[in-house]
Amino acid sequence: MSGHRVRAITRRLLQGFRRDRRTLALLFVAPLVILGLLGYLIRGSSTAPSVGIANEDSGQLGAIVAESLRHSSLISATDISAADGDAKLKDGSLAAYIVFPSDFSQQAQAGNVSPEVHLEGSQPGRSTPVVQALQLALSSVAAQASGRDIRFAPRITYLYGGANFDTLDYFGAAFIGLVVFFLVFVITIVAFLNERSQGTLERLMASPLRRGEIVLGYMLGFTVLALVQSAEVLAFALAILKVHNQGNVLVIFAMEALMALVAVNLGIFLSMFARSEFQAVQFIPLVVVPQVLLSGIIFPVSSEPKALQVLSDVLPLTYAVNGMRDIMVKGADLTWLSLELDVAVVAAFGAALIVAGTTTLRRTLG
Amino acid sequence: MSEAYAVQVDNVSKSFGGFQALNGVTLRVPRGEIYGLLGPNGAGKTTLIRHLVGLLKADGGTVSVLGQGMPNVAVLRNVGYMTQQAALYPALSVEENVQFFAAINGADEGVKDALERVRLSDRRKSVVATLSGGMRQRCSLACALVHRPQLLLLDEPTVGIDPQLRVQFWEDFRRMAEGGTTIIVSSHVMDEADRCQRLGLIQYGRLLEEGTPAEIRAKGGSQNLEEAFLTLAGRGES
Repeated sequence: MSGHRVRAITRRLLQGFRRDRRTLALLFVAPLVILGLLGYLIRGSSTAPSVGIANEDSGQLGAIVAESLRHSSLISATDISAADGDAKLKDGSLAAYIVFPSDFSQQAQAGNVSPEVHLEGSQPGRSTPVVQALQLALSSVAAQASGRDIRFAPRITYLYGGANFDTLDYFGAAFIGLVVFFLVFVITIVAFLNERSQGTLERLMASPLRRGEIVLGYMLGFTVLALVQSAEVLAFALAILKVHNQGNVLVIFAMEALMALVAVNLGIFLSMFARSEFQAVQFIPLVVVPQVLLSGIIFPVSSEPKALQVLSDVLPLTYAVNGMRDIMVKGADLTWLSLELDVAVVAAFGAALIVAGTTTLRRTLG
Repeated sequence: MSEAYAVQVDNVSKSFGGFQALNGVTLRVPRGEIYGLLGPNGAGKTTLIRHLVGLLKADGGTVSVLGQGMPNVAVLRNVGYMTQQAALYPALSVEENVQFFAAINGADEGVKDALERVRLSDRRKSVVATLSGGMRQRCSLACALVHRPQLLLLDEPTVGIDPQLRVQFWEDFRRMAEGGTTIIVSSHVMDEADRCQRLGLIQYGRLLEEGTPAEIRAKGGSQNLEEAFLTLAGRGES
């Protein structure tokens, strides 16, 4: 063991970094950006789900429980009429609505209340607090009002999903898309960079090949790979993991193909800005982490702080994830306007990146 | 008529940042000639060749190849370019590499012929990553000439190739030139320079001297080409 030789290695390493400003920046700036983003997301998000309350109770109890729910920190409650409930679940403005039936007070007298709880259901994390809040409100208020123990048996219905719909079902839809997007992006950026560093790109540029032909050729090649991968991932998720799926498998597959297309072109485009594989690898956290945090995969976009929602709205993955969830959780097909919109936005991102990739691919070296 | 020349370079200058890589280079290469570009490392040989395939655009002056002003994509179909580094796809076999470069240059045949020319027919199924440096160099050459270009640009093609094979290569080059192919080859190996019909000495981005090997010997005042070259290069220094 020679301290001298070890020092030589250490010094060589640090010398290299000194010239690689980009790596230094990533090393010291990226963690702050990522942690800051995460902190802002978690602290700044409005986590309490919006719940509508329709009080049809002919007695007193419904009003008392509703008042208690309004002060609950678990949910943010507003009064609605039961007839509007389903529409509001569908358009996403409510996570749930609760109906106190007209005989609610009488039920309490009989010792067995069953309010109706209508859950949107696509996000398990937002359903649990609704039932919890209702139970808390009932156990404190109702027991006092009637002076006896009351059995709580809510009648729960789900717009999407169901009682067995769990967190994997919610994340599964998004992750199926994400896995393909991420891997295809990484493979493309490295493959294209290899082309540059092994000198073959110089040869391609000195041939009659046109830039568009190179980009298109790459796109087709990697899309074929991505489709095989998508099929595998999808089969595993549906058959082995039994991820909840209401949608048409072909529509899911088409959405994944579209995402692969965006990923390939993003990889080609960004590889233009990397001089080495080392630098290319740095694009991965920069591109992937913010997208994972901001595209609604983990934190629903609607609950993000307003400033971050603006960012989320310009990320292709936001639309792709939303589209995938609409298909798999809600059973959307291409006749749904929301899905059409998601598909159109993702496709537009793909087209823009093809143009950007082709333009940045320079024929001349200088 | 410019068509008599395969390559016509007029007063071309190029700088990168503050570095003057080419400084008013003018040269003409007639069709069917083997022209050798000689000069020390960093003299501007590769920069000049990159101008000939349109990879670089001159700051000043004009470059025309096979009668077309460069950069011009269409003319590249008739140009073969072998880069200094053996630029190949390491995961593909020898044959697959050559087939690829044939295809992007619009040629569907000639793969077998090209492999025979570089004596790699028996290794055509070998994956490039497993080849020795000299074999890669030969494969790279096959990729450059598979589409039978009218102009062949070879940037130090014989680096790492054993002397025996080098002799065979030069016989091949001569035969191709007799068939009308123009060959521009950069080198700093003097026994190769001797096989060129004409030589251009490049130093500090300038074309210092030009002439047949005999003329260069006379100008440099030595029967030994290497000595003549060093004398001329020394004059350029001062």
